[in-house]
Amino acid sequence: MSMWSQETQNRAKEIISRYPEKRSAVMPLLYLAMAEEGHLTDEGMEEVADWVDLTPAQVRSVASFYTMYKRERTGQYLVSCCTSISCMLLGGDDVLHAIEDESGVPHGETDAEGLLSVEHVECIGACGGAVAVQVNYELIEGVTPEKARELVRWLKKARPESVNTDEMQELFGGVKSFDWGIKEEDAAVGPYPAFQPLGTIKSAGDS
Amino acid sequence: MSEPVTIKVDGKEFEVRPGELLIKAAEDHGTYIPRFCWHNRMKPVGMCRMCLVEVDTGRGPMMVTACTNEVVDGMTVDTQNEAVQKAQEAVLEFLLANHPLDCPVCDKGGECPLQDQAMAYGPGESRFVEIKRTFEKPIPISELVLLDRERCILCARCTRFSEEISGDPLIEFQDRGNKTEVNTFPDHPFSSYFSGNTVQICPVGALTAKPYRFRARPWDLHMVESSSFFDTAHPRLSIHVSQNEILRLVGIDSEPVNHSWLSDKDRFGFEHVRSENRLDTPLVRRGGELEPVSWSEALDMVGNRLGLIVEESGGDSIAVIGGASGTNEDAYALSRFARTVLQTNNVDATMGEGPSAHFLAASIDRGLIADVDDADTVLVWGPDLKETHPTLYLRVRRAAQELGVNLVVIHPRVTGLDDRATATLRYRPGGGHELLSDLSDGSHEQVTSLISGKVVAIVGQASLADDPGLAESVAAFVREKAGTPRIIPLANRANIYGALDMGLAPDLLPGRVAYGPEAAPEPWGEIPAKRGLDTPGMLDALSEEKIRAVLLVGADPVGNSHEPELASDALDLAEYVVSIDTFLNDSNHYADVILPAAGFSEKDGTITNLEGRVQKVNKIIPAPGQGRPDWSILDDLSTVMGKSMGLGSPETIAKEVAAVAPAYQGISWDLLEWDARDGAVVPLDGEQPLTHIPVRAKGTKAPSAELLLHQGRVMYDDGVRLRNCHYLSRLAPGPVAHIHPDEAKRLGAREGVAVRVVTSKGEGEFAARIDEGTPEGVVFVPLHQPGAARLGTDPVVRVTVVT
Repeated sequence: MSMWSQETQNRAKEIISRYPEKRSAVMPLLYLAMAEEGHLTDEGMEEVADWVDLTPAQVRSVASFYTMYKRERTGQYLVSCCTSISCMLLGGDDVLHAIEDESGVPHGETDAEGLLSVEHVECIGACGGAVAVQVNYELIEGVTPEKARELVRWLKKARPESVNTDEMQELFGGVKSFDWGIKEEDAAVGPYPAFQPLGTIKSAGDS
Repeated sequence: MSEPVTIKVDGKEFEVRPGELLIKAAEDHGTYIPRFCWHNRMKPVGMCRMCLVEVDTGRGPMMVTACTNEVVDGMTVDTQNEAVQKAQEAVLEFLLANHPLDCPVCDKGGECPLQDQAMAYGPGESRFVEIKRTFEKPIPISELVLLDRERCILCARCTRFSEEISGDPLIEFQDRGNKTEVNTFPDHPFSSYFSGNTVQICPVGALTAKPYRFRARPWDLHMVESSSFFDTAHPRLSIHVSQNEILRLVGIDSEPVNHSWLSDKDRFGFEHVRSENRLDTPLVRRGGELEPVSWSEALDMVGNRLGLIVEESGGDSIAVIGGASGTNEDAYALSRFARTVLQTNNVDATMGEGPSAHFLAASIDRGLIADVDDADTVLVWGPDLKETHPTLYLRVRRAAQELGVNLVVIHPRVTGLDDRATATLRYRPGGGHELLSDLSDGSHEQVTSLISGKVVAIVGQASLADDPGLAESVAAFVREKAGTPRIIPLANRANIYGALDMGLAPDLLPGRVAYGPEAAPEPWGEIPAKRGLDTPGMLDALSEEKIRAVLLVGADPVGNSHEPELASDALDLAEYVVSIDTFLNDSNHYADVILPAAGFSEKDGTITNLEGRVQKVNKIIPAPGQGRPDWSILDDLSTVMGKSMGLGSPETIAKEVAAVAPAYQGISWDLLEWDARDGAVVPLDGEQPLTHIPVRAKGTKAPSAELLLHQGRVMYDDGVRLRNCHYLSRLAPGPVAHIHPDEAKRLGAREGVAVRVVTSKGEGEFAARIDEGTPEGVVFVPLHQPGAARLGTDPVVRVTVVT
């Protein structure tokens, strides 16, 4: 008996049907479990295990290997600042400190209100646009400490229902690694990647 | 077979099979390459890097792991040059970066691959000055196994075992990088029937077994090879003893049988041997109380009384039940004692369970365990192998999972093999014959089409509701369908196949000979002509007072009976009951005299497994108190009764067996101790003295009731040996009734609530277990559970929630 909503169950079925082996669906289903409960709980991992015919131990092995599966409650906005080599050379640590200072949330923690979580991360593949920051995995490139403070203030004040990479790039970004091309209309609705089959997305057309 | 290839290892050239792993090929030719993660019976992973060697295949030397690289023609390998030594030193320095130096308090100390290889190949010192990682220790990952995570070197042997071999991956790597650890999921313990194997294969002291932890040092142990008395496949093992006490059992890698694996019951079941409840002196009932007496007094008493009864009423008035718990030598002594001294043919080791004795002992085309490896299809229509025949379960699982063998499983509910089955079929308890006729009539095409080519049919009683003859009918059906399949007929009880081979059934004589007065072995003299009774027949005759005396040999007809009152009333009516046993049980409660027997590891002899393989078992400790082997008790009784068998010693019995039992010709202890350490399948020349061709019987249909009861054996039950094991006795599920979620909804039952289960023969309260593996319309109750009511064999059942 699933503890998931009917909608999430339908999504799980659809995702599993894409793979020849059920167990291959373990990673997207872990995001589903996160989206359902806000973060990954033991019950969520047991549920995933049931869906993909693995044992809970195997599911937890996958979930604990990857840092994007959050097993502790995360704020509404997860702010990730890259401090790997390119970003570090261009002031990644200063940007991180600015975020920590402005939000009052140290790396790896969440504010009391449950609004903001802050973390520094290893390379997120935007070296050409260092320093790179993500909010709910939506990318902003060329971020300076000042812009980072503005970003935090905006998140706290505006509390947008969803965040969109192009919109935030315009407001808080700087030099981009390359021309991103046409505007990305979709936006992320929580501290997990925006992806259509997961339902973690708010399209421009949605009300 | 493809041509062998030539490789050169450390300057020595030899020929090896192409495709073989370098580490194995080198070892087979005398060059040991150090390793932690590689295990002969599991797939390589190359995790520990200890087996780095320098290999040149013509493109210049390079450093590779010997466990993940296959041999190729012309390969030259250096396993100990300077570069390799440097690599080995580096690997060990890293492995020891976090490994504690707690060898003096670690159980593995003295037999630890890490300790040994650090001495042999290590740098001797470390450049790491950082603090080593620590964990809460130890954590129990199951009822039997403890984990000290800081000792773990992440070789993945235990996690691979649980996924590849036993099929219950309940332990896995958790976290990443420097934080990686082996662990279970919270509240999902490693409750595998095979958990003890991870302790045996752990190359460090990270996994330890509770019964052995802090008990001994390896150099204090002495050991002897033997075989398990639980699983009827008789997995090979080594008994480790200190100060006359068994401390642990370790699996031996026997290619034809158990590949070094043991179920936890086989591995930890030795605890009953040292139980304080063991019988250690002859007991005589006087005024209702059991009183200890001397052996001479007890033997005189029993011999005189039995002799008197034979004289007054003839041998037919005596029943001999049991004999499957001892060695072949014990069974032979009992067979001869019953026929020649007691003059009776009322002998039965099967206790009235399972297929017929002739089918079990002498089926045509009897299969071997290893036959499943190269079969086209393995058909399992019998008990859940994972619960009752763990060695065979692992072998069939491997065949289906790794060797591409088709597996068909037919059982009333889900079994441990279903997840690897090509096809499964379910049937209503008691409806086996019906399904069989459907299969013959051509239905279930996708299943029957698999039954062709090289087929191994593993058959036995799947459900108590099934007619015990169903197994034989299934074998007959497979023969119709697939010509000459290999047949493995299943039965329970330690040495049942050996007991039958020694003639412990009314219609058999030693060496697989059909019973007949003219077929008596020469030293036996005259034997009774009248056909004997089987166990149910003997109990009936007791109730009708046609039988006066009962000899129970390691037998508990009351405890085993599905209608215990019938058995206990029958024993109550018996004029004289003698029991030879290791424990008090529900039946020798009725005994007038109880004689203490020697058990596992307390006597020498041979035993015969489900494929007819004879193996040597050995004595390493004395029996408690005055306990003696069955054969010697019977030998002395025969002397008291004036018909001395003069058996002498178990080895002289073994010689007599080889001389008079046709199927056992050529079997000697010498052979089994030297040339045939893995045992020898009888008859050695393959000429079966008796061939039983399975017959298709007409069966009944399943009752049409809405709800039917399926009862089957599970791994842990209330057997007297298990009951006296400190750790294993806690693992029995107890009185539980498995119900499908939808069925439970209809009944209004939730997980754990008490339900009343009522049949025509019994009733009792059971805890509901909501279980998708049990089909709707079926209630599954594990047999012989402590505290559980006996429900009889009739599958019509009523279940209500207790309010």
